[in-house]
Parts: sequence; C-alpha cells; structure tokens
Amino acid sequence: MVKNYDAVVIGAGNGGLVASARLAKEGKKTLLIERHNLPGGFATSFVRGRFEFEASLHELCGVGPITGKAPLQKIFEEIGAADKIEWVSLDEAFRVITLEDDKSDYAMPLGKAQFIAKLEEYDPNSASIVTKIFELIESVEKTLDFVEAIDDFKASMIKEIFSEHTDFLKVANYSVDEVLESMGASQKTRDILNAYWCYLGQPTDELNAIHYFTMLHAYIIDGAVIPRGRSHQISTALLETFTENGGEAWFNTSVKKINVKDGVVTGVELDDGTQINAKAVICNASPYNAFTKLMDEKDVPEKFKKEVNAKTLGAKGFAVFLGLNRSAEELGLNNHTYFIYPTNDNRKCYELSRKIETNDVQATVCLNKAFDDCSPEGTSILYMTSIFTGDEWSNVSVEDYHKVKLSFAEKMIDNFEKATGVKIKDYIEEIEIATPMTYARYTDAPAGTIYGYEASKEDGIVKRIVFDLLGKGIPGLYFAGGYTVRHMGYSPSYTTGDKAAKAAILAMEKEAK
Amino acid sequence: MSKKKFSVNGSFKDGVNTVKFLTERMHFVNSAKAVLPTCTDDFGVNKVAKRLHPKEQNLIISKIEEHSDIAKSYYFKSETAPLAYFKAGQYLTFKFEIGNAVVTRSYSIASSPASALNGEYQITVKRINDGFISDYILDNWSVGDKVIAFAPEGNMTYCPLRDANNIVAIAGGSGITPFLSLARAIDQGDEECSLTLLYGCRTSDEILFKDELDSLSEKNEKINVIYVLSHSDEEGYEKGFVGADVIKKYAPEGNYSIFVCGPGGMYKFLETELPKLEIERKYIRFEVFSSGKKAEEETKEFNITVINRGTETVIKANSSETVLCAFERSGIEVPARCHTGECGFCRSKLISGKVYIPEGEDKRRIGDMQFNYIHPCCCYPESDLVVRIN
Repeated sequence: MVKNYDAVVIGAGNGGLVASARLAKEGKKTLLIERHNLPGGFATSFVRGRFEFEASLHELCGVGPITGKAPLQKIFEEIGAADKIEWVSLDEAFRVITLEDDKSDYAMPLGKAQFIAKLEEYDPNSASIVTKIFELIESVEKTLDFVEAIDDFKASMIKEIFSEHTDFLKVANYSVDEVLESMGASQKTRDILNAYWCYLGQPTDELNAIHYFTMLHAYIIDGAVIPRGRSHQISTALLETFTENGGEAWFNTSVKKINVKDGVVTGVELDDGTQINAKAVICNASPYNAFTKLMDEKDVPEKFKKEVNAKTLGAKGFAVFLGLNRSAEELGLNNHTYFIYPTNDNRKCYELSRKIETNDVQATVCLNKAFDDCSPEGTSILYMTSIFTGDEWSNVSVEDYHKVKLSFAEKMIDNFEKATGVKIKDYIEEIEIATPMTYARYTDAPAGTIYGYEASKEDGIVKRIVFDLLGKGIPGLYFAGGYTVRHMGYSPSYTTGDKAAKAAILAMEKEAK
Repeated sequence: MSKKKFSVNGSFKDGVNTVKFLTERMHFVNSAKAVLPTCTDDFGVNKVAKRLHPKEQNLIISKIEEHSDIAKSYYFKSETAPLAYFKAGQYLTFKFEIGNAVVTRSYSIASSPASALNGEYQITVKRINDGFISDYILDNWSVGDKVIAFAPEGNMTYCPLRDANNIVAIAGGSGITPFLSLARAIDQGDEECSLTLLYGCRTSDEILFKDELDSLSEKNEKINVIYVLSHSDEEGYEKGFVGADVIKKYAPEGNYSIFVCGPGGMYKFLETELPKLEIERKYIRFEVFSSGKKAEEETKEFNITVINRGTETVIKANSSETVLCAFERSGIEVPARCHTGECGFCRSKLISGKVYIPEGEDKRRIGDMQFNYIHPCCCYPESDLVVRIN
C-alpha cells in the first residue's frame, strides 16, 4: 500500500505532537505515527489503585504565570491547544538539601524579588550580585529571543549579533562556574543558584552559563506551572488539536525505515510494509535511533555519522512513584520540589552518579503541594527521580534486575527520610519503580537515556544553536525533541517540534514557488 | 539592549574565548570517526528491556497435565527468543484466532519466575460456565501447538517496600495459580515474604496442586497452606467460606498483607468480611477482575463504526457485552491485555455515542476522561458508537 501526505511525523512525543499540531494547523496533510498506544512519550501518566501518577514532569517553564513571558503558551495558543489544558501555578522554586554531615538546607521561592530576598536571608550581601546576574540573564534572553525569531537565517544577521548582542557574545563560551566566580558570588550563593543543575544533568564547571541561566530565569522569574491532568493532559490536548485540524494519528504502529532517494528523504516505510510518501519527515525519534535503526547506513552522510559518534548520551533515568496513605500535612511534606544531593559539589555528584552503589542524587516532587486534590483526601503523591551519568544499568542482568531495582528505590526513600526527617516508609500504599529499562521499553531510548545528549562543554547549547543555523541537514528530514539543538526537557522539546514544523512548511513553500 | 558593560575575564579575553568555541566545536565533530555508534538495540539496558517486555512471544505447548475432568495445566517452551522474566503473581495474555474472531485472554502464571529463566511457563485452565475461551483451550490445545502470548503483566506482586512481610493469600478455585507461583518463588529463595495460603474450594476433590502445596507447606516454614471447603465437611479441612474468622485464626502475629484472587462470588463475600479485620487499605490487594456481563432485562443491538489507521469498518454490538467483545467477535485486533479496565492497553477514542461503565471499573486517566477516551474492555454500548482504536 502507498499513501501520500505533505508531512509524516515519526513519534508522538512532545516534539512530534507540537510539530504535528502546527503542520495540521497550517493546512498540511499530516500523518503522525506512534509505536506505543498513547501520545506523549515521556509526557504521560499512569494509574495505580486510587492514584494517578505523573510519569516525568516536575515543573514546566515557558507558560509565564509571574511575568507573562510565555513562549510556550504562545505556541499552544497558536496551534489551538491552550484552552484544553488547566495549569496550576507554583509559588515555590525548590528546597535543596545535602546529605553530608554538615548538611545544608535551603528553601527558595519563585519570583525575582522573593528569590533575591530569601537568598539575602541565607547569605547576607548576596542581593547585589544576584541582581547583576539576573540583569545579565535578561540581556542574554534578548539575544536568544532574537535568534528564536529567526525562521530563515541570513548572513546579515551575524552582523547584527556582533553589534547588538555583546553581553551574549561575552558569556557565550563560559561555564556557569566561570561566570559566577568572575562576579564574585560566594560559595553559598553559588550552591543555591546551582541547585537546578540536575535538571540538565551536567556539572556547572562545564555547563554553559547561558544555557543554565536562561533556565534559571524561566523558572524563577517567569514562573513555573504544572498541568492539573498530569502531562498526559498536555499530550492528549495536543493530539486532539491535531486531529481537530484534520491530522491523522496512527498508534501501535512502527516506522521500519526512513526512505531516502538521491540524498533526499522521501517518506517512510511502516512495520506492515505500507509506504508513506511525504515532502517532509519530522523525526521525533532521536537522531541516534534514526541513524542506527531507521536509516540505511549508506544514507547517513559522513558528517552526521561523525556528529552522532562524537556526542555522549546524557543521563539515564530512575524514578520511584509513591502513593502514600496519609496527607502531605500529616506526614510533614511541606515542599513541592526537593533536590537532595550527597554534596553541593555538583561535579562530585555527577561522578558519583555513574554507579548504582554511589549515586545519591534525587529530585523529588510532592504533587499535593501544587494542588492538594491531586490524590484522594488523606493521601498524597510523592515521586522521586534520579539520574545516572554512566551506563552501569547495562551491566544488570535479567536475573538481578528486580533486586537491583528494589534496592536502589529503597536507598532513594531512605535518603529522602534522612534529608527531610519525614517518615514515609510505613505509609506506602502504591509504589511503582521506573528504571533505565522502563524508559527504554516505553520510548526506545538508547540505554534508557532521558536527557538526550550531554550538555558538555563541546556540545553545549550555544554551540548547537550556532552550528544549527550554519549547518545543513538531510533535505526533507527535520529532527524534533530532546536530542536536538535545545537539549532535553519539556519546553525545549515542544519548541524544537514547532521549529521543525515551521522549517518544513518554509521548505514546502519555497518548493511550491 | 543592556548598556551596562559586562565582562568575565576582560573584554579581549572574552572575545577570544567566544571565537574559540567555533573551532572547539568543529574539532569536536571532525575528530570523531565517521562510523555509527552502538545501535540502540545493542545496549545492555535495551536488551534487558526486551527480555522483560517482548512485543510478542511465540510459544509452543510442551506438556499438558490433567488435574481433573475440568482442569488442565499447560506448559510452554519458547520457539525463538528466551521467555520473558516476570514477578510471581503476574499473568500472560494469549492471542486466539477462532473462526473470524481475534480474541485475547489472560491467565496467571503458575510456574515460578526461576522456571521462566530455565525456559518454561505453566498456566492452569479450568472449565467455567460460558467460558468461551477456557472451553476452546481445554478442547483444542495439544502438545506441539504453537500459540502467541504477550509479555507478562500485572500488579498483584509482592513488594517489600509496600506490603507487610507476611502475606495472607486468599485463593478461590483456579485463582490458586498466582499464589502457587509465589509459594514456589519463596521456596526457591526469589521472594523473601512468608505466605499463609487460605485456599477455598467446594470439596477436597477440587483442590488443585494439593500434593505440591502440602509438601511446600511441610518443608518450608515460610509457607503455610490451609484448605477451606464450602460444600463438604471433611476432616483436616476448614469448613465454610474464607472470611474474617478463618483469616484471624491463621494470620500470623503482627502486620500482614492480604492478597486475593478468585471468582466474583468470593470477592463479594470478602467485601463484607475484610472490614471486620480493621486493617489499613494498603494491606489489602485484589487481583482485579471484571464483573463480566451486564445484567439487563433486554439486550439491545447497536452498530459500532471502528476507525483503524484511517479506515472505517461498521460492526454489530449488543448492550450486554463489552465494546472490546464486539471488536473481538468481528476480528478487529485490539492490543487488549487485562480485560478489567486496569492496564489501559485497549484505550480508544470514543468519537460519538454513549457507553455504560460499571462503577469502580473505570481506571482511566484524568486527561482521558476529559477527551472522551475509553477502555473498551469495561464499556458497554448504550447507543450506536464511533470509536477510533488506532
């Protein structure tokens, strides 16, 4: 069977869903293919007993409840999904606790003024430095907005960047540590400001300053939200928008091959042999999977082989989902986001996270602190995520799997109790544990990676954006999602989905002329 | 644009550093080899994921054991890949093509997890009233037949972080199989809990696996088996139904978790019995079951328009059978597993029409209720329907 479309989208993850919705909204005949029975990829939920668990989202930026700066919400509005999602705004940034003997414990609010004031309480005289950092971030944001608005790159724009965006250029190749040191930030201020490092999975001695600061800005200054119906609500809303605009979505369907003719992508072949011809293929499967699984090696240009070989796979995921039979109040769960680290030295945390034995990193959410009716009265939901920076789970055998999984989950629960003093072990009514194998099962992620490629010094976000503007991809093929220019995460994946769709639409329009 | 001058290491050094990133990045890519990295399927993690959750398993019936006129155990070997590992208490879903119908049914695994690693599964099938598939299996399956099963699923498994260390298992009829698996796993050292098994049958003749259960009970101090007969008074057996009194009599000291697997009548009885024990909800776990047919004065006929990969098919349905049942009868393949509304594999979009969902069987997500997605395995049509399955 042969079918013809303007565009075919491989994968209904965050990138693929937004790309599909944008294409359909712009009147392109679009087919979305998903191997699983649900939309969303990582952005999903599951029910156990009387609890519905969020699978991956801790908090979402880009919807702007505080300042109204809401690039993501704008995309959702444009494609028609915004009114289908109910957001809950958060007022707390995080509580960061270390497990070492002289343990530190800081709880920070969202909102610029509140954040600066609280930091001043913990670390007197930090306000002026933090104000300067926020100013720098705001200046850098303007450059990013400028780059963001570029749909069709022209050489003249380089000149504009060099004359108008000097702050950006000055920080472009520095790490978070280099910039904060130069500003004279104290160790305590840096420990607090760097608390979000585990969301990007890279230590701040190499993590690009612009990358980290823009994320910090998006959370702390613009504000964070979560969807009431878990991330599954966003995924389903995006799918509804897509089908309402005439898009076709096929679930439980796999792409076997991306078809290439004379160096140009012409469509895909499905698991049952169906041939889909399309002017554009948007690939929400990672370039890693596309090149190693979906394309003939001869069709992958040398440059991309080098690139995919040069990059390092990012952190692998592990999560524990707990339905507790006491309310957050009864248990003393007072915070929404807990970062629990063995030490404030995040380079050390990163290195320790290579091994199951030594990894003690966790980011934990008590959903009831966002909205208490997320679980039945007298109960609460707590979910804990850890990241593995190596591939040690690849050495775990089938025979040992359940025991290793259980023992690491128990360590996470013990660490949480130790750090917070809150006892939860006796109140677990439902538990589910996700390992790198679980993420591999549901998303086909290589080695159970949840963070795309590492945001390393050589492959940081600024370098990726610049080289993406300068470089040429495979004609007809557009990548979206966590392995692309914006790195992983909800907001970046939605954004790259939109970018990929817009690039495909632009190419179709050029072709039509 | 900010007019303030910002610098990290002085303007000149910042400029040099910025230019440096272009060359750094070019070197980073160009110095790599022009070969593809490890294929995703070849990572240890991905291989184990596939071992635990294969898409399908091609099995071959290696042995059939007759327990009585109405119950048989079937043993399977794998035709190709190694068998998927599992936790004691999980079930296998089998796929059947009978005439025009494509049907799935689930059976708890009776063998131990260790035996899966050694290449064998065992399930036990008992003839029941109106058991379309159990009749089919008992009358048709023979040694050497090839069958298709999906990966093991199910949540009635022991988790030491959640459950008490002592499990009081209440089994009825062929509901013994997940607990036989658990007892075997305990005996083989793969599970660390203790098991008090209260096994309800009508008469002693109906007890399945009695010799093995007696021997496990005798040789392993962590396992204790008590038979409870409802329809005969025999020496050495408890008389009556498994209720609060029997549980209290045999439950171990301290905390215990109750696991239940059996027929609908047993669940109804326990609904009134278990509250008498005054134990917390977290310590009671039921293998989810479907209430089966909807009781109705008059069965009405409806049409369902099924949308699958963009093509439409109209099929017949009736109000006393689930929407999934109508799909199966018409040969429409749906990725169904649990048949109880729990697993969500058959999740489909109800584009138009009305369905009845029995109370308590609705385990949909919030977002699915908002956008009218249903689990066809626990929905009964109340009008003509349009359903998108894929």
